[in-house]
Amino acid sequence: MGRKITIPFGSQHVALPEPVRFVFQTENERITDVDVDVGYVHRGIEKACMTKFRYMQVGYVVARVCGLCAISHTLAYVTAVERLMGIEVPKRALYLRILVSELDRVHSHLLAMGHLAEVAGYENLFMHTFRYRELVMELQELVTGNRIQFDYVCIGGVNRDLTPEVEKELRKKLKTLKEKVFWLKDVFENDYSVKYRWKGIGVITERMAKELNVVGPPARASGLATDVRNEFDYLPFKEVGYRMVVRNEGDVYARNMVRAEETVNSLEMLFNVLDGMPEGSIKVNVKGLPKGESFIRVEAPRGELFYYLKGNGKMVLERLRIRVPTFANIPVMKELFVGMEYADVPAVVISFDPCLSCTAR
Amino acid sequence: MRQMLVESLKNLFSKPATVEYPFEPSPPPSGYRGVIVYRKELCILCTKCEMVCPPGAIKFTYNGDGTKDFHYNPYLCIYCGECVRACPKPGCLTHSQITAPPATTVPDWDSLEKEAEESKKAWLASKKKKN
Repeated sequence: MGRKITIPFGSQHVALPEPVRFVFQTENERITDVDVDVGYVHRGIEKACMTKFRYMQVGYVVARVCGLCAISHTLAYVTAVERLMGIEVPKRALYLRILVSELDRVHSHLLAMGHLAEVAGYENLFMHTFRYRELVMELQELVTGNRIQFDYVCIGGVNRDLTPEVEKELRKKLKTLKEKVFWLKDVFENDYSVKYRWKGIGVITERMAKELNVVGPPARASGLATDVRNEFDYLPFKEVGYRMVVRNEGDVYARNMVRAEETVNSLEMLFNVLDGMPEGSIKVNVKGLPKGESFIRVEAPRGELFYYLKGNGKMVLERLRIRVPTFANIPVMKELFVGMEYADVPAVVISFDPCLSCTAR
Repeated sequence: MRQMLVESLKNLFSKPATVEYPFEPSPPPSGYRGVIVYRKELCILCTKCEMVCPPGAIKFTYNGDGTKDFHYNPYLCIYCGECVRACPKPGCLTHSQITAPPATTVPDWDSLEKEAEESKKAWLASKKKKN
């Protein structure tokens, strides 16, 4: 019989980039029970979208839900409104949306990989990852005019066209980035200090993933082939060379490798988008008011993002509901922790890449 | 492991990846969405920018003689550029390359918002009377 100790993990913790609180009941460093609180950064965005802002402005409000997947939120909202109002978006606008959404995925995945290296105590690799991530941030600033809050997508198209100079710069920097990402992937794959730290830690079986509804890279790392880019036609991903990355181990290492391979795939898609960019307009004029219900699923960097929308022919929406990927991944985290060593907790939490600004909104 | 060690040793002697900002300039790229610049001589006072602004950082106050005054709060602005796109006169509202708002205090924005609303009501009432 060991001593029972209660250990709070968060809401402020050195390993956590965002405020989530876990309370662990431990017995000899082994966890017996977990309690989770995710509501530390609640800002009432859903309510504000239903009362204060008109439907054309809501796209800019939901972009502020999260900094890391800003484009995903706006993209989901805008696509939902377009489906509701029957707007045909020009092909060039769709390609530009893929461009920014994949740039966003690259920067988010590199951030997750870097943080994971940091909690493993590998500061050196963390610094390298973040240095190469800076290249993507510069490209985002060049394409959209801002590093994080892009405000790029609007109802009926996109806000800004791609000029030839920007395209030239994009190609040049993406080429450098691709080399660096291959190097990083090699390090993450073969470096023995990370390999022995992460292999066999926090294993999610395929059955568990299915039952507890895991989404995003953690699901694909457990052998569950689910990706909204493959299942839902919100953007023409299949035309630009999308391929699904699936691994079967289900541990922290596999989750990280799924992210690394997806980053490589995203970079391939970015080159294909630039090569096959169609000519034409980037925006159509929008008239009318949204009436009826619509829902949309989008693959954010962390997994499936769900938007439900209800308009009643007025300027202000009647209902807006957001379900974010991190919220879907919380139940499996709780399940995983029971029976695990306390020392493995930071690595497992960060391997899910939790985004609490999204979850609490 | 060895690979990382070699890379780390190389980094000890290579140039830093960051810009040494206070000693070197760090210019924003072309097309950066900075502080909004307003040119009064081009404005046709259509108030479209006021209507589209998501946070309400642009307000017009109505004077007695029918003219309007433009007010802009750079600290409330989210720099989305909606007003620039909504403006029918090209060049009237533009993004500058300034990354931070000027270090001046904004006049009491709450009372300005109230004033804008009241002056608009008064203006609409006087317009009704004329008709």
